[in-house]
Amino acid sequence: MAYEFRKRIQFRAGFFVREVLNGTVEPLVMLFVYTALYGSAAAAAGEGVGTEPVSLGGWTYPEIIQYVAGLVVVRKLIFHSRALDLATEIFEGRVTKYLVMPFRFFVLHQGRFLQFTLLQLAVAALVWCIGYAAAPAYWLVPVSVAATLQAGVLVLMGSYCCFLIFFILNALAFWLDVVWSLLVMAWFVIGFSGGALVPVSQMPAAFYGVLSLGFPYWMITAPIELLMGRLGTGDFLLGAGLVAGQLVALDLLRRWVWRRGLARYVGAGM
Amino acid sequence: MSVASGTKPSGADGGPVLEARGVRKVFRTFERVPGLRGILKNFVAREHVDIAALDGVDLRVERGESVGLIGANGAGKTTLVKILAGIVPASSGEARLLGRDSFDLRDAEKRRLALVMGQKSQLWWDLPPIDSFRLLKEIYGVSDADFAERLARFASMLEVEDRLKIQLRQLSLGQRMKMEIIGAFLHSPEVVFLDEPTIGLDLISRETIRRFLVGLSEQRAVTFVLTSHDLEDIEETCRRIVVLDQGAVAFDGGLTDLSQRVTGKRAVEVHVHPNARVDEEALVAELSRHGAELAGRSAGSLTVIVSAERLAELVPRLFAMLDVKDLSVERQPLERLIREIYRRGIDAAGGGEG
Ligand SMILES: Nc1ncnc2c1ncn2[C@@H]1O[C@H](COP(=O)(O)OP(=O)(O)OP(=O)(O)O)[C@@H](O)[C@H]1O
Ligand SMILES: [Mg+2]
Repeated sequence: MAYEFRKRIQFRAGFFVREVLNGTVEPLVMLFVYTALYGSAAAAAGEGVGTEPVSLGGWTYPEIIQYVAGLVVVRKLIFHSRALDLATEIFEGRVTKYLVMPFRFFVLHQGRFLQFTLLQLAVAALVWCIGYAAAPAYWLVPVSVAATLQAGVLVLMGSYCCFLIFFILNALAFWLDVVWSLLVMAWFVIGFSGGALVPVSQMPAAFYGVLSLGFPYWMITAPIELLMGRLGTGDFLLGAGLVAGQLVALDLLRRWVWRRGLARYVGAGM
Repeated sequence: MSVASGTKPSGADGGPVLEARGVRKVFRTFERVPGLRGILKNFVAREHVDIAALDGVDLRVERGESVGLIGANGAGKTTLVKILAGIVPASSGEARLLGRDSFDLRDAEKRRLALVMGQKSQLWWDLPPIDSFRLLKEIYGVSDADFAERLARFASMLEVEDRLKIQLRQLSLGQRMKMEIIGAFLHSPEVVFLDEPTIGLDLISRETIRRFLVGLSEQRAVTFVLTSHDLEDIEETCRRIVVLDQGAVAFDGGLTDLSQRVTGKRAVEVHVHPNARVDEEALVAELSRHGAELAGRSAGSLTVIVSAERLAELVPRLFAMLDVKDLSVERQPLERLIREIYRRGIDAAGGGEG
């Protein structure tokens, strides 16, 4: 009994440690790179005399640190492909049982998204508290409650778009053998074009012009800038509109791919 | 329903419960060429093979019928079940369930349908059956009272009351299968497909499951389609038999027609010395005098099919004519019967339709 209990506690604790630590390596690397970058830029600018802080692509060093802190929290909320195992369900014919049941299969996965989101909201809050307790001077503190809500809405809408994309890629298992590599690639593209490595607004203008139209930007860079007060309510409205449009389009694509896929389903293993 | 339904050809009530018209199914598989060149080749032009699993199946099943679907491995039984239940689309032809295109079922029809697969779990692997059943209760909208009553009744009929709280993956094959059957009947379906529900089960479990199915079909007008390689399953639970052979219906008729052939005939296996001479012409002539026929022959053995009544007169003749080492008598095996039906398929199928 006691053994069982201890095992279970260890499992729970392990889960939280994993969740909290998950995705902290990249931000740490970013931090080192940025520190070196700004250090050499400052050295080149004025041999330590300058009272003006060095700005690269519109971002100062303290701002970048806040960005990285925001990134750690925001990434917790973004739906990742590991939370779906649809492709294997299709491969192994485990989808069959749902096809004869009187409910929409997709609703089940929406349920997973909801579950993921609720859990990760708790994890994100926890991570924010830990970060704030550890380094209150550098940690990102939202400028207002409204900004926090706006950022939250954008992140979750973007996360839902990710969910749709992963669902669609998983559904390609009706046609393809290897879906896993597509999922990894998609995650990389979404992360990069959203600002998981470099804030999109720090990228060259041409990049920024294109990427600021896509939901990844509004899921990562833009919410953090809202939290920092670099963007305002007008930007939020624009972003929400753009993302809503993409969300609807992705959902239509999801329906179409699913219908086409079902027509190719063979119900393996029966 | 009390509304006159005879005039509604495609209506859900009154019309056939299941209907297949000229159903064909072609599976396309891609051949994988091994090696690096293979990867490139697969990428550019994959070579495919088309397998015709069903080749023009016609079937009409009325309310309350219990149909036994038999046929050799790969005959297309499972494929037909999948198509009728709407899991996969037919390549051509028409499949209907409760008056609706099978591949386009709405929740209203799905609520009246159940599927039990011997090879694939319909329940959740990681959950104890009781939790799966509760989920199914929610999905199908079964009332609390019905749920409690049915669960208790089914579990006691199938003798698994004490296993409901154990994770499905930890149950034995037979216990799992019984759970699958309980899960399928909880929402009181009208049409039930059972694809080899007794595969790998012991005699007692099979008996229990058969009794359960028979009991249910007597109480309510449930329509069954049952596939099995165990002819006894079929004999005890189904009144109508459909034999599939290479994707086509080879026999469709009453159980009595078929079981007479099975129970009325015996297969006599005669072992002779491998290098003994056998005058085959004389043997065949002698056999036909007793209404028997030579069904198979190899170096050391002969198989003779004869009706049960004339077995006694034939056996002494066999001893007289052949240098018999050993002789055994069995009921005519299913495989041979199916082959025979297939050979004479047209008249057997024609005679079976009532
Ligand atoms: N997913 C698939 N891809 C390719 N061929 C398939 C597929 N599923 C079935 N087939 C082929 O279709 C034919 C019919 O298969 P099916 O599973 O319906 O047979 P069955 O009558 O149920 O046989 P068994 O008694 O072995 O269960 C077989 O030749 C099989 O190889
Ligand atoms: Mg089968």
